[in-house]
Amino acid sequence: MKTRKFCATVLIITLSLVLTGMPVCADNPKEIKIGAIYPMTGGAAQAGWDSRQAIEVALEIINTTKHKDLGIPLADTEGLPNFGGAKISVVFADHQGKPDIGMGEADRLISQEKVAVLTGCFHSNVTLTASQVAERKQIPFYNFESSSPRLHQRGFKWFFRSTPHDETFSAAIFGFLKYLKEKHGAKVQTVAILHEDTLYGKDSGTIENDLAIKAGYKVLAVIPYRRAATSLTAEVQRLKALNPDVLLPTCYAADAILLAKNMKDLDFNPPIVVAQGTGQIDPSFVETLGASMVEGISSRNAIGPDLMESIPKLKKANALFRERTKAAGKERDFSGPSVRCFQGMMALAEALSRAKSLSPEDIRKAIQETDLKTDQLVVPWRGIKFAPDGQNMFGDAVCVQWQGGKMVTVWPEQFATQKAIYPIPKWADRK
Amino acid sequence: MKKTQYLGLAIAGIAAVAYPHIFRLPFPHHLMIMVFIYATLGLAWNLIGGYAGQVSLGHAVYFGLGAYTSTLLLMKWGINPWLGLCAGVVVSCLVALLVGYPCFKLGGHYFAIATIAVGEMVQQSWLNWDWAGSAIGLNLPILEEGLKNFEFHSSKLPYYYLGLVMVGIALLASYAVDRSKIGYYFRAIKGDQDAARSLGISHTRYKAYAMVLSAALTSIAGTFYAQYVLFIDPDSVFPMMLSINMCLIATLGGLGTIWGPLIGAMILIPISEFTRIQMGGGGTGIDIMVYGLLIIIICLYQPRGIIGMFKLFRK
Amino acid sequence: MYTAEILAQTLASGLLMGCIYALIAVGLCMIWGLMEIVNFAHGDMMMHSMFMAFWLWSLFGIDPLIAMPLIMVILFVTGVLVYFIIIKRVLKAPMLAQILSTFGLGIFLRYLAQFLWTPDSRMVQEPWLDGRIDIAGVFIGVPQLAASGVAIIAFILLYFFVNRTELGGALLAVSEDREAASLMGINSDKMFALGWGIGAACLGVSGAMMANFYPITPEVGLLFGLIAYVAVALGGFGSIVGAFVGGVTIGLVEALSGVLVAPAFKYVFVFGVYLAVVFIRPQGLWGRY
Repeated sequence: MKTRKFCATVLIITLSLVLTGMPVCADNPKEIKIGAIYPMTGGAAQAGWDSRQAIEVALEIINTTKHKDLGIPLADTEGLPNFGGAKISVVFADHQGKPDIGMGEADRLISQEKVAVLTGCFHSNVTLTASQVAERKQIPFYNFESSSPRLHQRGFKWFFRSTPHDETFSAAIFGFLKYLKEKHGAKVQTVAILHEDTLYGKDSGTIENDLAIKAGYKVLAVIPYRRAATSLTAEVQRLKALNPDVLLPTCYAADAILLAKNMKDLDFNPPIVVAQGTGQIDPSFVETLGASMVEGISSRNAIGPDLMESIPKLKKANALFRERTKAAGKERDFSGPSVRCFQGMMALAEALSRAKSLSPEDIRKAIQETDLKTDQLVVPWRGIKFAPDGQNMFGDAVCVQWQGGKMVTVWPEQFATQKAIYPIPKWADRK
Repeated sequence: MKKTQYLGLAIAGIAAVAYPHIFRLPFPHHLMIMVFIYATLGLAWNLIGGYAGQVSLGHAVYFGLGAYTSTLLLMKWGINPWLGLCAGVVVSCLVALLVGYPCFKLGGHYFAIATIAVGEMVQQSWLNWDWAGSAIGLNLPILEEGLKNFEFHSSKLPYYYLGLVMVGIALLASYAVDRSKIGYYFRAIKGDQDAARSLGISHTRYKAYAMVLSAALTSIAGTFYAQYVLFIDPDSVFPMMLSINMCLIATLGGLGTIWGPLIGAMILIPISEFTRIQMGGGGTGIDIMVYGLLIIIICLYQPRGIIGMFKLFRK
Repeated sequence: MYTAEILAQTLASGLLMGCIYALIAVGLCMIWGLMEIVNFAHGDMMMHSMFMAFWLWSLFGIDPLIAMPLIMVILFVTGVLVYFIIIKRVLKAPMLAQILSTFGLGIFLRYLAQFLWTPDSRMVQEPWLDGRIDIAGVFIGVPQLAASGVAIIAFILLYFFVNRTELGGALLAVSEDREAASLMGINSDKMFALGWGIGAACLGVSGAMMANFYPITPEVGLLFGLIAYVAVALGGFGSIVGAFVGGVTIGLVEALSGVLVAPAFKYVFVFGVYLAVVFIRPQGLWGRY
C-alpha cells in the first residue's frame, strides 16, 4: 500500500518534470519562430494582452497578402519575400511580472522552442533579465516597448530596442513645457513630480528631476507613491500645499484614474499636467472618467490617435487592431505601448527578411543594418536605425492632450493637430 | 525498515546527481534549480512553522535580506559573495531575533499578521531606499565564472549542484531538529504552549531558536538566488506571495516532517511551471486559477500533506 | 506650509477613509469572531461585489445604491456556499490549512475576474452618490461620506444583532463554546453558515459603496483586504467595536503620515502602528482574549 502511494508520488513528480520539459509547439520548417515574453497575468496583464494582439495583427499582415494595400514593407507579400516566403510564428509566454520567471522563459524559449529571436517584456526589469539570457546565448533580443534607459547601456551586442526610451520621452515633455512657456506665455517655474514606486516610476521620476533642474525649473517635490494604493489623497494634499505650476505624474492605468478622482475630490488644480504615458494615455482613462474629467491632461506618447487620420498607414493598421481586439473580447484602439509593439514587430520582420537565414549572427547583422525611413513606418518617427549600442536613434515622441474626450497631438508643432489648452480648466469650471 | 530507507535515499541521491545529465537542456536545469531554492525555503519555514507551529507569513524578509546583504557587500565594497552569504545569515538572524522576540508574545493569528506587517514594512521601505537600489533593483556585476566568484555563465550545472548541496544542508538541519531534544521542545510548544511552559520549557527561547535557524537557511537561499538570477529588486525578493509559497510548499509536502517540504517543492514548482507554459501565454489567467484551486483542494483533502498520506497508511 | 486648513482636510480625509476601511473590515470581524478563521479571500470577494455593482450599472443602468440589496443577497448566498464547500472541511484542520485554503480561494477569485472581464479598469460613471461638498474649505466626497455613514450604521446594526438579539446570542454562544451551545440545541453548523453569509453580505455592502467612487480592477481587493485584516487585528480579534476603531485608526495614520511625513511611507506607518500597539497590548485595542 505504502509503496503504491510512493510510486504514485514519484510518477507525478517525474511526469511534471518531463512534461514541463517538452516543447509546446511543434517545429515547422520554412518558419521562423519568435519568442515573446509578456505579462499575461497580474497587474499589467492588460498591457500584455494588448501587445499580443498587436503582434498577431502584425503577423497577419506579414504572413498573408490580406492587407497588401497597407503600404509598409512585407504587407504585400506572403511571408518573408527575401527568404523564400518563410512565415513567422510567435510563441507567447507569461512572465507574471517576475524577473526570474522571465529569465526561465527566455531559457526555455531559446533552448526548447528554438526561437530565432526573443522579444518582450514590457516591464523593464524583466526585459533586463531575459535579455541577459539572450546575450549569454547569443540570440538577438529585440525590445519593442520597454522604456528604462538602462537597457541599452549595458554594452550588449545582441540587444536591440526600436522604441524610444524614457530620456527621449521625458525630453518630449520638457520640449512641450518650453513650447507652452514660449508660445502660450505659460508660467513654468515650479514643478512637482509624482511617480509610482516601481522601476517604471522611479526611472521616470529621476529623469524628470534631472531634466527639470537642467531646464532651470524649481523642483518642489519628488513624491513616490505605492502603486495600487488605496487612496492618493495624502499625496494630492501635499501637492496642493506645494502649489506647483506643473504636475508631472507617472502612473499605470488604475492609479491614473484614482489620481484624477482624488485631484477632483480635493480640488487640486495645477495649471499644467504632463504625464509620462501609460496610465493617462490608456483608453480606459477616458472610458472610466468621462471626457470632462480628463480635459486638458497631457502626456508624452509615441503617437497621438489623431495622427491616425493624418497618417493613412496608421489609420489602416489601427482599424485592423480594432477588428482583432473586438474579436478577442474588448475592442480597443492602439495605445502608446501597443503601437510601438506593432511597429517593432514589423521592423523585426523586415530585418528577418533581409537576414535570409536562421543563423543568429546573420539575423543580428541584419537587425543592426536596419535602416527604415519615415514612409516605411506607421509611426511618425524619423526612422529606425540602430546605434552600435542597439538603441534606435530616430525614435521620436509627441505630446498629446485630452480635448473634448479625444486625445490630440499638441506638440511638436509640425505634427500638432490642435492648439494646446493652457491653463487646463479647474475642476469647478468643468461641465 | 532502515535498509529500505537507506536504499531509497541512495536511489534519490543518484537520481539527483544524474538528472542534469539525462535532461541536458538548460530549462530543466533551471526548473530544478528553482525547485531547490523553493525546497530550501520550504524546509527553512518548516522549522518554525511546521515543527514549532508558529505561522510566519513574512519569511520573505530573510530571503531578501540574504540576497541584498551579499549583493550590496559585493557591489559597494567588492566583498566576496561567500563572505556575503555569511554576512547575510548574520543580518537575518539578528533581524529574526529583533522582530521575533516581541512577536512571540502574540498568539496564532496576531503573530501571523504581525509577520505580514513586518514584511510589508520592509518591502515598502526598501522600494524607497536609494542607496540599496530602491525600486530599480541591483544588477550584479558579471564576474569571471568560477566557484570563488559564485557565478557561472557557460552552464547551469554548477548552480544545480550547489543547489543540491544547499537542499542537503537544509535537510540535515531538519533531520537534526526532528531527532533532537530541540525538536521535541518545538513540538511541545506547537502542541500546547502552556503545558510546555509548565514543564519548564521556555517557549520564547525555543521559538527564538527555531526562528533564527529558519531565518539563517532562508537567507542562504536568498544569496543563492541573487547569484543565480544576477538581478534583485524588492518585488522579486520581498513579496508576500513568496512568503505564502513557502508555507504552501511545506504544507503540501507535510508539516513537521523532514522530507515534506522537498516533496512539496518537487510537485508544486513543476506543476505551476507546467500550467503557466501551457496556459499562461493566452493571457486569461486560467493557469493561476488552476493554481488557486489546487491550493484549496490540497487544504481540504490532505492538510497533512503528501507525507501525511503515507502516515495514514502506516497505521 | 501646513495650515490649519490642511490639517483639517487631512483629518477629514483620514476619518472618511478610516470608516471605509472599517466597513470592509466588518465582515471579516464577524467571521473571525465566530469561528476564529481569517478569511484571506476577503478582499477578493469584495472585488467581485464591486464588479457586480459595475455590471448591474453598465448592463441594466441600475445605480449601485439600488443594486446594493441584490448584491447583499448574492454575497450572502456566496458566503454560505463558501462555508459549506470549503470552510466546514477545514474547521478541524491546522490553522495553516485554514489560512491557505482561503488564500487559494482568493487567488482563484482574482484570476477568475481577470478571465471573465479582462484586467481593464472599470468605473461607474455619475452614480447617484457623486460630487463633493465644501465645509469651510474642507472637501468631503459625497460617496465617501455616504460610505462612512453606511459603515457606522452597519456597525451599530451588527453590534445590536450580536449582543441584543436571540440569533446573535446563539452566534456568540457557538463562538464561545461549541459543545455547550449544541447541548442547548443550537446547531453550530447552521450558525457558522449564517455567520459566513452575514460576513459576506457585509462585503456586498462595502463593494457596492466602493463602486461609487473607486476604479475596479481584478487586483483591487489586495491592499484593501490586507488593511482590513490589520484593522481587525489592531482592534482586537473578536471585538466589533475594536474593528471599527482599528479601521478608523488606520485611516487617520495613513492620512496624517502621508501628508505630514512622507506619502511613500504611509503604509509603513500603518503597519508600524499596528506592531507598536500589539507589542504593548497583545490582544489589540479592544480585544477579549
